[in-house]
Amino acid sequence: MIRFENVTKVYDQNARPALDSINLEIDRGEFAFLVGASGSGKSTFLRLVLKEDRASSGAVYVAGQNVAKISSWRVPRLRRGIGVVFQDFRLLPQKTVFANVAFAMQVIGRSRSVIRETVPEVLKTVGLEGKENRLPHELSGGEQQRVAIARAVVNRPGILLADEPTGNLDPTTSMGIMGVLDKINQNGTTVVMATHDDDIVNEMRKRVVELRNGVVIRDEARALYTSMIPVVGQSRRLRDASGREPSDFGAANGEAQHAGEGKL
Amino acid sequence: MRLAFVLAEIGSGLRRNLSMVVSVILVTFVSLTFVGAAGMLQLQINQMKGYWYDKVQVAVFLCSDGSTAPGCASGPATPEQQANLRKLLQSPAVAQYVNDFQFESKDEAYKHFKEQFSNSPIVDSVTPDQLPASFRINLKDPEKYEVISENFSSQAGVESVIDQRQLLERLFSAMNAASLVAVSVAGVMIVCAILLIATTIRLSAFSRRRETGIMRLVGASKMVIQLPFILEGVIAAVIGAALASGTLWAVAHFFLGGVLSKQYPDTAFISPAQTLLLAPALIGLGVLLAGTSSLLTLRRYLRV
Ligand SMILES: Nc1ncnc2c1ncn2[C@@H]1O[C@H](COP(=O)(O)OP(=O)(O)O)[C@@H](O)[C@H]1O
Ligand SMILES: [Mg+2]
Repeated sequence: MIRFENVTKVYDQNARPALDSINLEIDRGEFAFLVGASGSGKSTFLRLVLKEDRASSGAVYVAGQNVAKISSWRVPRLRRGIGVVFQDFRLLPQKTVFANVAFAMQVIGRSRSVIRETVPEVLKTVGLEGKENRLPHELSGGEQQRVAIARAVVNRPGILLADEPTGNLDPTTSMGIMGVLDKINQNGTTVVMATHDDDIVNEMRKRVVELRNGVVIRDEARALYTSMIPVVGQSRRLRDASGREPSDFGAANGEAQHAGEGKL
Repeated sequence: MRLAFVLAEIGSGLRRNLSMVVSVILVTFVSLTFVGAAGMLQLQINQMKGYWYDKVQVAVFLCSDGSTAPGCASGPATPEQQANLRKLLQSPAVAQYVNDFQFESKDEAYKHFKEQFSNSPIVDSVTPDQLPASFRINLKDPEKYEVISENFSSQAGVESVIDQRQLLERLFSAMNAASLVAVSVAGVMIVCAILLIATTIRLSAFSRRRETGIMRLVGASKMVIQLPFILEGVIAAVIGAALASGTLWAVAHFFLGGVLSKQYPDTAFISPAQTLLLAPALIGLGVLLAGTSSLLTLRRYLRV
């Protein structure tokens, strides 16, 4: 469903590449976590899938199509096949729950009757029955994220990309969201979720692709957040660079630097 | 559905940016009024050319009591001098250029004068004696004025030879200059209008970046995303153009038709209906202005 062939993305010629020769394939119907510290290139990966940015070299295939070869007027069609969810929900504050979800159908020209039929169904799938007429600020964070997920999948995309969807939520709420994503995945949608929430990854036991400095350092099925297999070379290299053991503290520092960077 | 959606977006955009939209309307209104004024002047010039060019004549004025020209040193033109001039006009050398001619006596001149200035107090202070008699000559080719001028200006009893066409040309060139000024002012105002439309669209795109961001992500087409912004500018510009057309019509109706045509009854002024011919051009220009300006702005500020 998604295939990266030797993909490198350079934003800034003077900095290291955001993604460095990535080779990766995610199959139809799969659920994959993209893990790694902030700045490791997770969002960049998702942006390349959406053709929000173009790869500096290599090729990105989505549903068998090389996205570099999709002409700009056909990009909307590519995006209709991909749902996206963000850490900050991105709901329209003055629209109701129903209207927020319906918006995604209106702008691609779905008829009123189809909208009236589909939106309640999708809201039910994400567990928001009876909240159709609430405004976003009348909902909890978890509920807001459910609205965002409903909007992302209402046009039945084959792929759902989630960029740290639980980043603003507490652990219990996050697990609820994971339940929704899992359900959507069970219905056949390929889900790729970028996260650095180890509890969730450990709980779900799905495929884990770990990025560090734009390089895939691990790709394991049914895996945990941290590898069971020690990566000797990697930790030595880190220790050499920083002069001390790699630790959670180092990762947390990285987080702080990139905090509030919820953009995709 | 998509149309309804686009219309709703335009409505909310217009309401959200009301003050900017009003200023776009006013700027396009003023700039297109100047464009239209230039157009009206040109229409007026054409109208007068059509009306006058077959009527204009070369006038050979005879010396009268008050004449101060050197050729009139010997006093008013005598009947013999007048007969000589008539003979000269009928001579083959001159007649080949002449279509026809009439003699206008002092009394006839007075009558015409009274008609022309019927509602002006100047009529009362003029007597037939003060007005010169003249030969009114229609040329086959109006350009051949020189022939008449050479043959008659040095004749005894002739005060002056005047080519009415030249007088008209002077008027037309003044009107042309005025329309040039109007076009220049319009040019500056149009630059203002373009910049203002660009700024308005930019603000509008900024205030709706959340919506457009989501539209992009769910795969809305470029047209659905951009059309509301473009139409917002176009609608404002069309309103401005309509106001400008209305103003021109009002000027033609109340000023030209109501005031000037009473003062100058023998001048053919353009009719209000003729100014309405300018309306489609003005509206088209407004659409073009707003359309291109917003397209260029959107390309920079609204990534799709
Ligand atoms: N638009 C951008 N312009 C320049 N550099 C960027 C841009 N987006 C991301 N980067 C850089 O690319 C690297 C990867 O960023 P990102 O993909 O956002 O990582 P993650 O989502 O894993 O935190 C970081 O070093 C970041 O600073
Ligand atoms: Mg990120």
